Amino acid sequence: MPDRVLLTIGTKKGLFVAQAPGSRGTFTLRGPFGRGVDVYASLIDTRAKKPRIYASSCNPFFGMKILRSNDLGKTFEETKSAPAFPKEDGRSLKNIWSLEPGSDEQDLWCGVEPASLFRSRDGGDSWEMVPGINNHEHARKWQPGAGGLCLHTILPDGERIHLGISTGGHYLSEDGGRTFAPSNKGIGVGFAPEPLPEWGQCVHKIARPKDAPGRLYLQNHGGFPDRPGIGVVRSDDHGRTWRSIAKGLPSDFGFPILVHPHDPDTVYVLPLEPMTRTCPGGSPAVWRSENGGGAWKKLARGFPQKETFFTVLRDSMDIDELKSPALYFGTTTGQLWMGHEGGEKWSCLFESLPPIHNVKVAVV
Amino acid sequence: MATIHLPTALRKYCGGAADLPVSATTVRAALEELERSHASLHRNICDETGAVRRHLNIFVNSDHMRDRQGLDTALAPGDVVTILAAVSGG
Repeated sequence: MPDRVLLTIGTKKGLFVAQAPGSRGTFTLRGPFGRGVDVYASLIDTRAKKPRIYASSCNPFFGMKILRSNDLGKTFEETKSAPAFPKEDGRSLKNIWSLEPGSDEQDLWCGVEPASLFRSRDGGDSWEMVPGINNHEHARKWQPGAGGLCLHTILPDGERIHLGISTGGHYLSEDGGRTFAPSNKGIGVGFAPEPLPEWGQCVHKIARPKDAPGRLYLQNHGGFPDRPGIGVVRSDDHGRTWRSIAKGLPSDFGFPILVHPHDPDTVYVLPLEPMTRTCPGGSPAVWRSENGGGAWKKLARGFPQKETFFTVLRDSMDIDELKSPALYFGTTTGQLWMGHEGGEKWSCLFESLPPIHNVKVAVV
Repeated sequence: MATIHLPTALRKYCGGAADLPVSATTVRAALEELERSHASLHRNICDETGAVRRHLNIFVNSDHMRDRQGLDTALAPGDVVTILAAVSGG
């Protein structure tokens, strides 16, 4: 049995760390770290023998910081620097939305607002801008969504790197990040006259199974009655083309999307009612497909059946890698839920945290 | 020499000091002096473009700099430049 399951919970008031034995019996909570400051991104980096935790600390007064822990989230310190645009660029950091591991133990990617990508080769102490996307001819034309103009998804896959930008779309590099191109064929929009533009989609999140080359799942901004089904799509050719897999869902609007760690055909979404962005009918449910989006099953055992209107944001759902994995999600009203046995049964781990922006899990 | 008086939250970026002496004769030059002497402290006060962060206020003695000449407000020996976080949040 593994030693422990670790959760990082990024909130409006700082980062919390929850820890349980490998049985997931009881989670104990510590924090908040980076007290009083929004945490939109966290990463439990298990590449090295000694895991590290990273978190963004998005301070409206004093600017953006990266926090780092070398003791499984008992203490945190600021890295020596945070991503920053060169002075002559004219842009300034508004938020840090994503932290992802790169190719070796010290290599990190960071997605920010305004939508841009940075890379660190020394575990977060120094950062360089990635000009292939930051200076892309589209970069100054992307428009912010309700959450801001954010680069929220970074999925390295060998020399390929997939990016999710809201509102910009899916951008793909096939040369290790030197150049990027929009790759959105089949991803629709409901907020512009052209239904299938080359770029400008409001991508909410992208997920990539490890063991199915070329497969990607994407939660797009759906919920448009005149353009049904554009909200949940799939690619089987590394994101070059996409097709809808939304049929059977109660709503194609939502934010997170997840893949089962051991089965590339099992994918999870959390549909929300598009106008309120809360649980359809006041009845929360995660929906699971076990055939790559061909059919969907409602998973609601353990949730309240009515009068529940929470919201789950794009980075607030994750899944662990145990043999029978558990899902975890946090709400903007501060509940942290765990879905046992692949989401078959749900229980609330914490009921009254600050509004949750981000949840990550690792078995360490 | 004028003095820059720092809020508690920023003192960790300059070895715990609450006050830093500067030889500059304007607020702008004082911030530039900070950028050279305490780069990480300066980054907390100004963004990458050099603009003072939106939710910070800078006072020269008792006056908000915007009520004088902004960043061009002159500093005389003995003046105190106080940097404070604005009242905001939720």
